[in-house]
Amino acid sequence: MNSLVGSPPLSDTTEHLTSEPKPRKPLQDQPLFWFAPALVLLLVVTLYPLAYVLWMSLQKTRYYELAGFVGFENYAYVFSSREFIDSSIASLIFVAGSLSLAVPIGVFAAVVFNSLGRYASFFRVVTLLPWTLSMGVVASLWLWLLNPSYGPISYAMSQLGLPQSLLLGDPDLAIWLLVITTAWWSFPYVMVMTTAALQSVPKELYEAVDMDGGNSVVKFRFVTLPHLLPTLGSTALNLAILYLTIVTLILVLTGGGPLGATATWSYQVFNGTVQTVNIAPAAVYSVVVLVANLMLGYIYVRSTGRATG
Amino acid sequence: MNRSHRSPLTWLSAGIVVLVMSAPILWAIITSLKPEALAISFPPTFWPSPATLENFASVLRSETFASDLWNSVIYSLGAVALALAVGVPAGYAAARFEFAGKRALMLTILATSMVPGVALLVPTYILLDGLGLLNSHIVLVVILAARLVPQTIWFIENFVSALPIEVEEAGFIDGASRLEVVWKLVLPLIKPGIAAVAVMGVITTWNDYVTVAVFAPDVAARTLQVALVNQAFDSIGISWSYFMAFAIVASIPVVLLFMVAQRWFVAGLTAGTVKG
Repeated sequence: MNSLVGSPPLSDTTEHLTSEPKPRKPLQDQPLFWFAPALVLLLVVTLYPLAYVLWMSLQKTRYYELAGFVGFENYAYVFSSREFIDSSIASLIFVAGSLSLAVPIGVFAAVVFNSLGRYASFFRVVTLLPWTLSMGVVASLWLWLLNPSYGPISYAMSQLGLPQSLLLGDPDLAIWLLVITTAWWSFPYVMVMTTAALQSVPKELYEAVDMDGGNSVVKFRFVTLPHLLPTLGSTALNLAILYLTIVTLILVLTGGGPLGATATWSYQVFNGTVQTVNIAPAAVYSVVVLVANLMLGYIYVRSTGRATG
Repeated sequence: MNRSHRSPLTWLSAGIVVLVMSAPILWAIITSLKPEALAISFPPTFWPSPATLENFASVLRSETFASDLWNSVIYSLGAVALALAVGVPAGYAAARFEFAGKRALMLTILATSMVPGVALLVPTYILLDGLGLLNSHIVLVVILAARLVPQTIWFIENFVSALPIEVEEAGFIDGASRLEVVWKLVLPLIKPGIAAVAVMGVITTWNDYVTVAVFAPDVAARTLQVALVNQAFDSIGISWSYFMAFAIVASIPVVLLFMVAQRWFVAGLTAGTVKG
């Protein structure tokens, strides 16, 4: 980044202190003037509650009251609970499962649409629709689709001779149905990112494959895919961060059940906030979600060089 | 180019993707047009016959619909307006000022964007409860706006950085103050950036459930999204055709906005991620 771009040419020659005394700059030429409103907002809404939740996780609590410092007792309690192991497994399956569906489908859609020439943008816009819907709406659509008594999926399964299933009420199946729903909602995002990356693949490389007599599979494997990998990596990280914080979808489709099979870390936070006799475990889960997200975010920043400044 | 790819197989694949994408939405639309008795007939019937708009009429007539809609609109527009009001100046400064500690400042802003809203539910709820600020419209707008601020700052920074500095220098030479230069010269040039952030912001805020549900437990302060999700908890009393009609009505504003502004929406999604 260039330094000093934009300082009025006839005023100070530098924003930094220099040895010569000079008149005070007008308020509107000072960076803080421009940053202050945003900083105040982030301080009050994000950083202060953040500090508070860290402090709270070290306290004994009764309902929502803090009742004395206990060090890492809450962490020890949560980490040694069966519930934490279950919710860690649920979080892992949910994130990894959704990624492994959404990413390939998104890439497939992008590559297919990209070869449709002038019709491509129509297909892209139509396919992007689920991504604009809220988690509440997406969950509602699928709750109805997966209804075991009246739903079309239940009907189709019975027509195919499959055994009757409770679908979302089946402890072994529920998390996978959440995965499918999440992938349906988010594959358009992968498609958009992939499409953007596809625009920058040098055409000469495809021509080279043509000359060597390679088909479209060869083109995808040796030209497209290597070119897409960095984009796919950062897109997957972004989605993993997003998936980890999903609450509404789980709340509507399964309510964390059956038998806790779909209660991810974020769901535990939400559930602990709205109904609890002791808020400390929810604070610990909050810290867990926070740390997981910060770690993924750190990898994202390191790998994409997105840090500005 | 790519002539050779446009085979029947390609069209078939594209058709399947669109079908998979649209099936859940189509099923919701079909259900919303059925009388409830038909919606829960088994085996399911595909065609909504007799078709009815009664479900949509009931949604619009429901007691709290007007206030739910009003809250959704107020929160979305308010949050975006506030996020722009604080984020645009910061984004401009990030692009045009150099000063000691800038890197640390930008990294702090980056870090706040990685703090997930869900991790702040517990402390924010307790703090608001203690101050008697639950169910406050203004508090909700401020919280929802803060979520949009980091993204707004980067986005605007990218846009301002891409502008030729000569425009601003010419303004300074003509004796304009920095505020005037930003207001009269920079802002008109970054309108597409502002539009992109605004579209993304409205959609994000409109679609929020968790923040409003937790910090505004009163019916009078809830949004369409909260009203929708609450119906799903009543699995016995639920009317599926009404529920689907409600989901559609609650989505229409964002879908319309998306269709009108899809160019900016896509710009917002891909911003900063495909840098080179």
